[in-house]
Amino acid sequence: MIRFSRLLSATAVLALGATGALAGSEDNSLTIGIGEELPSFDGYISTSRDGVVMTRHLFDMLIYRNPETFEYEPLLATSWERIDDLTWEFTLREGVTFHDGSAFDAEDVAFTLNHYADPEAGARSQASVSWIENVEVVDPQTVRIVSDAPFPAALEFVAGSLPIYPSDYVESVGWQEFGQAPIGTGPYVYQAGDSNAFTLTAYEDYFEGGGKGTPAIDTIEVRIIPDTATRIAEMIGGGVDWIWNVPADQIEQLNAVPGLTAELGSTMRIAMVAMDAAGRANPESPLADPRVRQAVNHAIDRETLVSALVGGDGEVVNVPCYPMQFGCDTEAATVYDFDPERARELLAEAGHGDGFSVRMASFRDRARAEAVQQYLANVGITADLEMLQARASFSAWREGDIDMWYGDWGSFSIADVSASTGNFFNGGTNDGAQDAELIALIERGAATIDEEERRSIYSDAISRITEQAYWVPMHTIVMGYAYKDALDFTPTVDELPRFFLASWTE
Amino acid sequence: MTGFLLRRLALALFVLVTISVITFVLSHVAVDPALGVAGDSATDEDIAAIRAQYGFDRPYLVQYAAYIGNVLSGDFGRSYLSGEPVIGLVAERVPATALLAFLSIVFALALSVPLGVLAALHPNSLLDRLALSLAVFGQAIPNFWAGLLLILVFGLNLGWLPISGSSSLAHFVLPSITLGTFAMPALMRLVRAGMIEVLDADYIRTARAMGLKERTVLWKYALRNAVLPVVSLTAVQFGFMLGGSIVVESIFAIQGIGYLAWQSMSRADMPVIQAIVLLVSMAYIVLTLAADLLNAALDPRLRRAS
Repeated sequence: MIRFSRLLSATAVLALGATGALAGSEDNSLTIGIGEELPSFDGYISTSRDGVVMTRHLFDMLIYRNPETFEYEPLLATSWERIDDLTWEFTLREGVTFHDGSAFDAEDVAFTLNHYADPEAGARSQASVSWIENVEVVDPQTVRIVSDAPFPAALEFVAGSLPIYPSDYVESVGWQEFGQAPIGTGPYVYQAGDSNAFTLTAYEDYFEGGGKGTPAIDTIEVRIIPDTATRIAEMIGGGVDWIWNVPADQIEQLNAVPGLTAELGSTMRIAMVAMDAAGRANPESPLADPRVRQAVNHAIDRETLVSALVGGDGEVVNVPCYPMQFGCDTEAATVYDFDPERARELLAEAGHGDGFSVRMASFRDRARAEAVQQYLANVGITADLEMLQARASFSAWREGDIDMWYGDWGSFSIADVSASTGNFFNGGTNDGAQDAELIALIERGAATIDEEERRSIYSDAISRITEQAYWVPMHTIVMGYAYKDALDFTPTVDELPRFFLASWTE
Repeated sequence: MTGFLLRRLALALFVLVTISVITFVLSHVAVDPALGVAGDSATDEDIAAIRAQYGFDRPYLVQYAAYIGNVLSGDFGRSYLSGEPVIGLVAERVPATALLAFLSIVFALALSVPLGVLAALHPNSLLDRLALSLAVFGQAIPNFWAGLLLILVFGLNLGWLPISGSSSLAHFVLPSITLGTFAMPALMRLVRAGMIEVLDADYIRTARAMGLKERTVLWKYALRNAVLPVVSLTAVQFGFMLGGSIVVESIFAIQGIGYLAWQSMSRADMPVIQAIVLLVSMAYIVLTLAADLLNAALDPRLRRAS
């Protein structure tokens, strides 16, 4: 299908042009095409990418993380401070109203968070809420979030995954109905549509002075178009103004269509080749030997792979985390340069001079996975590649069925190393190393409040991971966007498009 | 006739039970359902919580028994993701898919009957060859490719028809052609074969000898008899389209059953998948049964033979 869509956009460039070039939008509306229907608008339930994007438009969190500076900015809370190791206190903004006109206060915060802190409530991402012990109302403008243990990444989750809901409305309609007819404080108001489209309208009484600003675009028409090639055709035909998840090989052709901009934005999603050092898939695995893993690191020419196959703003990554994340110390990492000769020497030293076979799984991009396969073949390692669906690929790695996994990880857009390194070296099923020393470090890091101490713990962890070469840290993943030239839109690394910051330029 | 009916019903029931077992096994073996519900970036903690919450940690036999028990009492469960009752989710999508299937069949018949008759009138002529080529082409062309080709020509280059969505009847034109193209060849060949056979029959010669107009002979005497097997094939094709429109619905962004099935599969929303498979199979079985009965009613020889 992808291959055909290449032909599609190429032909369209020749044949069309004019219809796609209708610039601007006369009624200040924006039509976007997304790939999947949302089962619910409750952000604790609908955790897919498209779901998180909608959550950010309909609701607000207590604080906002600026995607450019990575600093926290006020949103529903105007200030916040740590009272003790377990407690954060938030002072709430006055005069904020929900879309139904009811006033927002501390009661709503406590109601929402206390509900989802209970595992029975069924929040899809338990990691986002399970640290919350209790939320206390101090007075209508003050609320405290208490964690069950010191939880250094608390603010990241408060800013990233905890939308606040209107307690009165939810209580009157029930959680189920709330997910279908959401009401929030966010910059856009939900208007139901038919089953494959819905509309967001700018909230007239949206508060000023928050990190999200106030919306410039009046209405956002959201169309659900599951097929990538169809989405591209609609973009070229002018049926939509903005799409994402555009395949990398389409970017150039789309850019050639008059009136369209297409680009590959860098994201904080990092790709890696994780290795089964613990011998989960094969107790006799050659990958148990650190020299073999180092050889794998030396065997892959990541610079070339990134420039030829990732493209756009993709970058080589040398650490088991995203460099902008708190605690992701790039200095601590041992970096392996591309040196197939050295790789062969290391393999010979380890007694595998004649090579060996591994099973490797991947999912996102066959060309990249085959490149890695070739690099490995070049030093004598035969990798049997299994290209799977994302979920099947994740489970193959988690269930310890494969020796190598060329996968990637988006850290739930959380800018803290506990969401990346912490999730892959904590002894859980994602952890192919199962290194007791590392597990202890990760546990300490997750419970240390002092920032300097925390940084140093994670530096030690990163140093150990790279020295032991448990992964080949690969590169960032790029996200393809296409939109009308006249749309002022900036992709962000957290893969969360912000239409409340977008506007038409003409 | 009663014995015939009972045998058919028993067979239909057996097929249904088999299907429910197969879907259940496949949806538990292909993907870890907990992982599907939790999503790609779930942590171990999330997955463990979901496993306990949805009862995925129980033995398969227990899970299946619980499922079948509910289905028998008319409860298809709730979607793991939205929490809405599955039956409502599916019912919401039936009209779009039914309309698509209906229009596709109409398109297929509108094309296959005249072409089949014409081809039968002039066997091995250039016209027959052309019709045959069209049939081979229609059968061989993959749905998704035909769909995109139509989008490219009629949606983009000519700009005559909307590319995707289902908000007006115009939106259904391209998808119906795409889906209908797939059903057309079998129908056309059946019409052609039936007509050739019938046109050779003695009563047609008699009709012609009596000086009836060729048009009357063709459409009134010949086609009526040739069309019998076409009726049952049409019913089966219709059932096939109800379930087989997954690709077409995805390409044209029509929120029907096929699309719901596809989306639910990628999210491992098993109650929805199981309900769709079961309901579509049921529709298929009922349509096949209806076609059998219709044929039996039309042709007494079939009743006696069974």
